[in-house]
Amino acid sequence: MAAQQILKQLQERFPGAIQRSDIPADNRLFVYVERAALKAICRHLFRDLDARYIVGIGLDDRPVSGSFIAAHNFAFDASHVLMSILVHADAERPAVDSIASEVPAANWSEREFRDLVGIQPIGHPTPKRLVLPDGWPEGVHPLRKDFPWDGVPAGYDEHRQYVFDEPPEGCVVVPFGPFHPTLDEPAHFRLYVDGETVLGCEYRGFMVHRAIEKLADSVLSYNEIPMAAERICGICGCVHTVAYSQAVEQAAALTPTPRAQFIRTIMLELERLHSHLLWVGLASHILGFDTLFMQSFRIREPIMWMAEKITGNRKTYALCVIGGVRWDITPEIKAELTRLLDTLEREWTAVTEAVSGDRNMQKRTRGVGVTDRALVKEVGLIGPIARAAGVPIDCRRDHPYAAYDRVDFDVVVQADGDVWSRLLVRVLEVFQSIRIIRQCLEKLPEGPIQLSVQDELPAGRMGISSVEAPRGESHHVVITGENNRPRRWRVRAPTYQNLQGVPAMIKDQQLADMTISLGSIDPCFSCTDRLEVLDIRSGHQRVYSQEELVQLTRRGGGR
Amino acid sequence: MDARLAAMIGYAILNVILVLLVAPLFEGVVRKLTAKIQSRQGPPLRQPYYDLLKLLGKEDLESGEVPGMQRAAASAALVVILSVATLVPMGGPAPLHEAADVILLIYLITLCGISTLLGALAAGSTYSLLGMSREMMTMMILEPLLAVAIVIGAVHTHSLRLPTVLNGSAYAEGAVPLAGLLMALVLLLALQAFVGRVPFDISEAETEIMEGPFIEYSGAKLALFKYVRMAKLVVYSALFVALFVPWGNTWFYPANLVLFLGKVFVLVLIVTVVGATHARYRIDQALRYYAGLFAAAMVALVLAVFGY
Amino acid sequence: MSWLSKLKETSICLQAGRVTLPYPAAPRPTPPRFRGRPIFDPAKCIGCAGCANNCPAREILVLDVCQEIRIIKYLGRRCTYCGRCADVCPEKAITMSQEFETASNDIHDLTQEMELFMGTCQRCGRCFTEPGPLEQLKLKGYRFDALAEEKWVGRSLAYLEDQPVVRDIDIELD
Repeated sequence: MAAQQILKQLQERFPGAIQRSDIPADNRLFVYVERAALKAICRHLFRDLDARYIVGIGLDDRPVSGSFIAAHNFAFDASHVLMSILVHADAERPAVDSIASEVPAANWSEREFRDLVGIQPIGHPTPKRLVLPDGWPEGVHPLRKDFPWDGVPAGYDEHRQYVFDEPPEGCVVVPFGPFHPTLDEPAHFRLYVDGETVLGCEYRGFMVHRAIEKLADSVLSYNEIPMAAERICGICGCVHTVAYSQAVEQAAALTPTPRAQFIRTIMLELERLHSHLLWVGLASHILGFDTLFMQSFRIREPIMWMAEKITGNRKTYALCVIGGVRWDITPEIKAELTRLLDTLEREWTAVTEAVSGDRNMQKRTRGVGVTDRALVKEVGLIGPIARAAGVPIDCRRDHPYAAYDRVDFDVVVQADGDVWSRLLVRVLEVFQSIRIIRQCLEKLPEGPIQLSVQDELPAGRMGISSVEAPRGESHHVVITGENNRPRRWRVRAPTYQNLQGVPAMIKDQQLADMTISLGSIDPCFSCTDRLEVLDIRSGHQRVYSQEELVQLTRRGGGR
Repeated sequence: MDARLAAMIGYAILNVILVLLVAPLFEGVVRKLTAKIQSRQGPPLRQPYYDLLKLLGKEDLESGEVPGMQRAAASAALVVILSVATLVPMGGPAPLHEAADVILLIYLITLCGISTLLGALAAGSTYSLLGMSREMMTMMILEPLLAVAIVIGAVHTHSLRLPTVLNGSAYAEGAVPLAGLLMALVLLLALQAFVGRVPFDISEAETEIMEGPFIEYSGAKLALFKYVRMAKLVVYSALFVALFVPWGNTWFYPANLVLFLGKVFVLVLIVTVVGATHARYRIDQALRYYAGLFAAAMVALVLAVFGY
Repeated sequence: MSWLSKLKETSICLQAGRVTLPYPAAPRPTPPRFRGRPIFDPAKCIGCAGCANNCPAREILVLDVCQEIRIIKYLGRRCTYCGRCADVCPEKAITMSQEFETASNDIHDLTQEMELFMGTCQRCGRCFTEPGPLEQLKLKGYRFDALAEEKWVGRSLAYLEDQPVVRDIDIELD
């Protein structure tokens, strides 16, 4: 259903609830609704129309409209539509109905905007603090416009402790993180272990929160934000810059030049290549198979050198500006890239053949960390996890961006939903990425690589963009503003959503499988921790407490 | 003093010094060869010596539950494994054979494992207790394998004396040495687990339980435990050599020594290559594997009783 | 068969041989587009502060000592080598060099300070045309970042010293 049809459906089903709607393009829909109808509309979208929940956003719109705004973003993958349902909340005591009981995937987003913006989700099943640190005083909400970006709240209580839930009977508490050899970034999984079996866990994150979103709306300007965006993640930097740039371009109705779109595609796929190869190495290392780890990294290294030749840096490409890219692909670079792809394909094929018959690896990965389609739908899992469970979602095909609508590729899907399936998905996606880059190099159009932007960008427009990161869908929401910077920028990294599936994955599994299950979602805690002012709110923001976990598994048919 | 007694004590001391000197070198070989397989340069062969020296000089943070028992356990583990070294022939005869028999050998090997368990228990952290439980499960099913090999030797030679049993006694004289060959294969397949290397280094799985039993150890105590790990490689290889490939010895001790080191080197190579090419198993998968080996060992024992 | 795949894996490894480079024992050359430490050329600089206005890390500070003298100071501490300063510089006075081995035990070794003699517009003091509307910070007028404390002060002074300080000002020119 295209955007028009979805709007019509909503208008028919909920007459009078729609205050205002915008359809800036046939694949984008913004609907402002009455507060009272929010829960019913979201439920209808999620359950009846089978939309996928992406993220919830809170924003302090008091300088402009005199109220707060809460929004929930949904995706219709089959119809290629991204939409947002928005409601206004009172300036004095902002509150909206919680949709988390209907849409489990919204649980963390609502806790996040409760912490950071102060919009209360009424009826939320677990209104626990998510992002802010324990000692943070009540009533102080960092993302409000009256809180300065370098503000320090009075009344910070550093001795206040976090109250963990009680472990179940007979379980030993095994603290996994914040320091652990497997984790690159700090995260805390409090595992409840009986012998060698994990019976539950509680997660705390947001330890690396860096306040990037606040910086973007207070200090940085449109063309500076990509430099901050690419530092959200230690691996998928390009994804965030492209997603942000696209969101702004969509909001301001700018189209990047065709050559720039192709170059963005090439760099995105290069990033996918190096990320997946890194993941295979990391997974092997977690399993104790250091040789495959070393070989993956050896095969991956020329990709990093190539990125350095094109952009000047191995990982922080500093690629995008609004309307284009900064680095061009010369004929020499094109020739070298072609040679690199040939070598890569050859070597990776050899490794794939060797690993696919390796029963030693398969014993550690088959049947481990299983997710089924039901969990994927409920929690909104994305990326290789969803594709390994048989759910064929891929933003490159479902919500085409950059040059993806002009190249051919397959979406790799497996059926078993375990770690081995995810490994296969990533290994096979490497070949698809090589195919895409080759096509882009062939079809690369001539022309400028940057748009000449003549006018200031109009304020108050909303742009949303979903980009397929190696880990899943990375979703950015930008509301343009005055003074050459956005009014609000919300980043939803894929690990944010995927971490919500981890407790169900590791329940009733062996402790030894915990790390590879966690590793199989390819977690990027920096992405999740994203940024908001000084909060420990991590992207994933969901501390799954014991009750939540039990509820989730009971709903999924567990014990 | 008796000449024989002096010789025994002399050989015992020689064995201990040999193990102390050579164990880090073989560890260096393991690391270097692993690196070559991984397309890297690897540390120099002398690196484990440097590591041990460095650790001995580092500050010892006593952060476990019972530091006194930690100290005792670390020292005990090294002392015990070196005592085992005095009972195993390394180029010469089994040195202290007049003072011990194979039963004591088995006990001492078990005692070394128990010292590690005590060390983990004394550390008291969640991860070390997890490592201890894994180590305990492993020990319970692995030590009997070694005991069965020795019992087979005892059954064939009708003796429990060290020089008799630790001299290829698993092979039956006069009949097809089925039990011996089977047991040799079993122990070769179990060697990786005895010396605690990938895929069977489950109790110290660094990426899963953060070094397991050794998590609360630093400085000199950690050096002792590292030394124990290195020494185990040499001592278990020596045991394997003594039980299954003891041939080629002459009266000339230095030549015997070189031959012995050569055989141990081959075993170290096998251990390294297997370690570099496998992923780590889970404890339940490993236990199933050991159980299979134990069943084969039982078959070998039955064969031995019947004279094969 | 697991043995076969292990053999295949091992043969892949052994064919590759040693791939680790001897850096730092041997130097490692960088590709031409490598973005290393930015080098500021005071001879070419016209003092427009475009670099300072577009530095995402706010590491380039600007101080107008008086109407004729402007100091532009590159601090280099949080510099991410993004190269935006070099992009927007109208005189190409900034080059992203190939240097990346910039470790030092004194952070001030990285500082580059330029004292510039400025021509003055009689009406507003300072104004320059940015390359595009997305490169402006809208800080027209005199700048007074705290060079001694190495702190960015996000404000500017209009016209003369006794004018009130404002956060962001927009001067209309007719």
